[in-house]
Formats: sequence, C-alpha cells, structure tokens
Amino acid sequence: MAYFCGIDIGSVTAKMVVIDDGELILHHVIPSGHNYREAAVKGMEGLLAKGGLSVDDIAYTVSTGYGAANVATAAESVTDISCCARGVHCTFPTVRTVVDVGGQASKAIRVNEEGRATNFVVSERCAAGSGRFLQIIARVLQVPLADVGPLSLTSQNPIIYTTGCAVFGESEAISRVAEGTPMEDIIAGVHNAIAAKISNLIDRVGLEQECALTGGGALDVGLVKRVEDRIGVTFLVPPHPQITAAFGAALIARERATALV
Amino acid sequence: MYYAGVDIGSTMTKVVVMADDVVSSVIGPTGAEHRRLANKVIEDALGKADISFDDVSYVVATGYGRINVPFADKQITEITCHARGVYSLFPSVRTIIDIGGQDAKGIKIAGGKVVNFVMNDKCAAGTGRFIEVIAETLGLSLEDMGQLSLKAGSCAKISSTCTVFAEQEVVSRIAEGVAIEEVVAGIHDAIAVRIYRMVERVKVERDVVVTGGVAKNIGMIKALEDKLGFPVLVPQEPLLTGARGAALLGKELVEKAIQSGQPIQRASRRLEEATFFE
Repeated sequence: MAYFCGIDIGSVTAKMVVIDDGELILHHVIPSGHNYREAAVKGMEGLLAKGGLSVDDIAYTVSTGYGAANVATAAESVTDISCCARGVHCTFPTVRTVVDVGGQASKAIRVNEEGRATNFVVSERCAAGSGRFLQIIARVLQVPLADVGPLSLTSQNPIIYTTGCAVFGESEAISRVAEGTPMEDIIAGVHNAIAAKISNLIDRVGLEQECALTGGGALDVGLVKRVEDRIGVTFLVPPHPQITAAFGAALIARERATALV
Repeated sequence: MYYAGVDIGSTMTKVVVMADDVVSSVIGPTGAEHRRLANKVIEDALGKADISFDDVSYVVATGYGRINVPFADKQITEITCHARGVYSLFPSVRTIIDIGGQDAKGIKIAGGKVVNFVMNDKCAAGTGRFIEVIAETLGLSLEDMGQLSLKAGSCAKISSTCTVFAEQEVVSRIAEGVAIEEVVAGIHDAIAVRIYRMVERVKVERDVVVTGGVAKNIGMIKALEDKLGFPVLVPQEPLLTGARGAALLGKELVEKAIQSGQPIQRASRRLEEATFFE
C-alpha cells in the first residue's frame, strides 16, 4: 500500500495529512512555533506514530503554506491557494468560492469544476482580517479560543469597533470590559469586524455558490454564523476545516506520484 | 487677562495658560477612562501660574476628547489649533506632520491658515502606538528608542502595514540575532514610510514642522528627514502646540469681541471631570 503526504506549515499551526489510494486516513496538527523546520519534523513523527507508519511508507510528499520551504522531506511545494482549492474540491465538488481564515491571513479563492483556483485575493497585511484579531481579543477576555464561537452565538448586541485595527480594537475591548459590556458582545463584535473584511475579499473575487469556509477560523461557529449573516449565503464547512490545504497537498502528492509511475 | 488652551489627546492632556506669552504649561495623563483626569491637569497648570480658574478669561478645548467638557468656553478642532500654535512659533511653516499617540496628521498651511489636511486614525501603524507596542516588546523606554536607533549601522527590514505583524517580525529579527539598534531603526523607518505616504497626499512643502509626542524621538525625526530629503523643524515642546494654538485662538476671540464692543460668548463652565461614556 502506498501513502501520500501533505504538509501545511502555517504561521500559527502545522498541519500534516496522510492519504492512501482512497480517503483521508490520518491527520495531525501542532503549533508551528518559532522553528518551522523542527515543527515539520515533529509533526511528521506524531503523524506517523498515530498510524504506525514509517517514513519509508510515504511515496510522495508535497509541502505548502507560509513555511513550506522548511519541509526537508517534501519532493516539492505547491501554493496554499492551489492546495486549499484542491482540498475543498475533493470534499465538496460543487463549491466555487472558498474563504480560508487562517492565523494571520484570510483568503478568498474561486475554484472551477476541476478543483483548480481561477482567481484569489489574500489579506495578509492587516491583522484585523485574520484569526489573529480574535486571538488578541480572546486573550484580553481570558476566554479559550474553543469557547469563543459558542459565546458569540449568545450575543444580542455585538459592539461595533470604531476602527478596523486589531491594536486599537484591543484597547476598545479593554474599555468595554471596564464599562461592563458582556463578553459575548465584545466577541461577536470581532466576528462582525472579520466578517466585514471577508465580505470585501469576496467582493473582489466575485461570489459564486456553493461557498465553503476553511482554515482554523472555520472551527469557530460564531465566525461562521456572522460571515453567513453578512454575506447572506450558507457556507459549507469541511469536517476538519483546518487541514484543508494539507489535504489538498496530499491529493496533489498522490497525483504527482501516480504521474511518475 | 489669562487664556487657557486644553488639548485632550487620547493619551495625554496638555494645558497652556497664556497672558501675552505662555505663563504655564502642563502635560499630564488623560486617564484610562478618557478625560477623567483632564481637569486635574488644568488645576496643575493654574496652580503653577498661581491663578484661579475664574481668573481665566477664556478656555478653548481641543483634541480627541474635547467634546462636552464642562470646563471650556469653546471647542475648536485640533487641526485648527495645531496650525495656529505651530504658525505662531514658525511663521515659515507650510506643512505640519503631527504624530500622536493614536493618530497621525498632515496639515497644509498657507498664510497661517489650514488649506488641506490628511489623517490616519484607523490603523495603529504609522502612529505613536506602533512605537509604544514595539518598545514594550523590546523592553525599552520610549526615550531610549530614539538614541538607540542613532547607533545603528544599517536598518532592519520591518513591514510598515500592521503593528501586530510588525511586532512578530521584531521578535523574529531579534531571534535571528539582528542587533537591537538596527531593529529599532527599522521600526522608525517603517513609521516614516507610512507617514511619508500619507502626507504626500497633501503635497509636502517646506518648511515642515513635526509635532506630537513622537517628535521627541530623535531617531524618528532622522528617519522622516531621510524620507523627505531635507531637514524638518521641531518645536521645543512638540506636545504643546495644539494647546498653545487653542489658547491663542481664545485670546483672539476675546480681543476681537472687545474691539468690536460685542459681549464675549462664554459658556457657564465648571472645573469638573468630564466623562466619556455619558
């Protein structure tokens, strides 16, 4: 049996996926830390241990993401845009617009019927449009990221941030805490702010249904809800949204390995 | 006759009390709950000059926190006040670059009057806040940043677009072993790039005067001069130009009223704390 591996070294987390001839069989997520090379090695060890596999069982590896160049075991690296498009297409073949919300960048990608990216925009210059804004506010409120989504859903009066800046937003959140504003309203306000930035991204690539939301941000039910409200369409979310690009990389690895035979 | 100008900024409240010339000035914190402490700063300034609040003929409030303050006769925008204050010190001024704690402005002046301005108060990059965040990350005082950057042989590349990401880059550069003074020089350069891009929208003309708390940072002034390609002027008290302008504008209003025989339009002011959230 041959196995194919996709490794996505993101700015915040490293994601590893192994597939065989059929479905996704293993995945593993660890923090990227400050040393991407080390994260790639450790992540692979964890992944292989999970499945009782050895390095020799992997026929082909494709790396992707911000730190793709740091994966020594990869035969090649492919852009996260292509990998994300491919990963989504395999799970949801009808999806034509993907929004990926990562730890430090958000992307909107148009995907064709073959699973190829035809257009995309990336917001990576401002923290306010990414998961980073949420992390900053969650830290102010001392709420674990896992609780942020469910809390946001209970908000009746999301606050409106006066600027689109994560640094100023942090100060505003602190002021609101001092005023006694409920935590859920402060969080839901962040979700709305990110949703507004995502809406701009989608406008720039054009919206075609179906739509999917991927990346770590898609794990946040509050964010998904606010994005859906803002855009006015339902977003499909893969069962493991965070590993979408790594999964796509594994699919591309299998394709390349098969072409080589 | 005494006139007071009160410039309530996001971080600091600045008060200038004038007669024919400045009789006292105080810079104090605005307070975490905006403007709570502004009246204390006025009390300090009056105390220093040994005059009472009632001795002051006219009080003009300006700055971010100027609205609904109970201790002012009139509110005037900080753009107008800055222009007036700077023009009184440097009649040759054509462009003011004001870099405050949470915003930055470019003001174009002709004959002492504001003819155009640009402002960034939406993004922390390119404001004093950017330097504050980085200083905290590096464990440096704001005063040290300027001197330190002058020692740099070269300038680390730091992205100018987002404070959050720049902070991350700073941590990475330090981890890579880049000298701290080069990182600080890189920070000043990043801000200068942002500021320059902003003020270019009003077409920079000499003389350029730099004001605001960030003007006290010698490294920042150097970085700006590098971008502009010529030297800039910095007032001795770059934080006080807004309050100075406010006091001068108050003085002019009173003098005009006296000359024309009109009554002075005064508010029923009280020296009380102002609250932001009412």
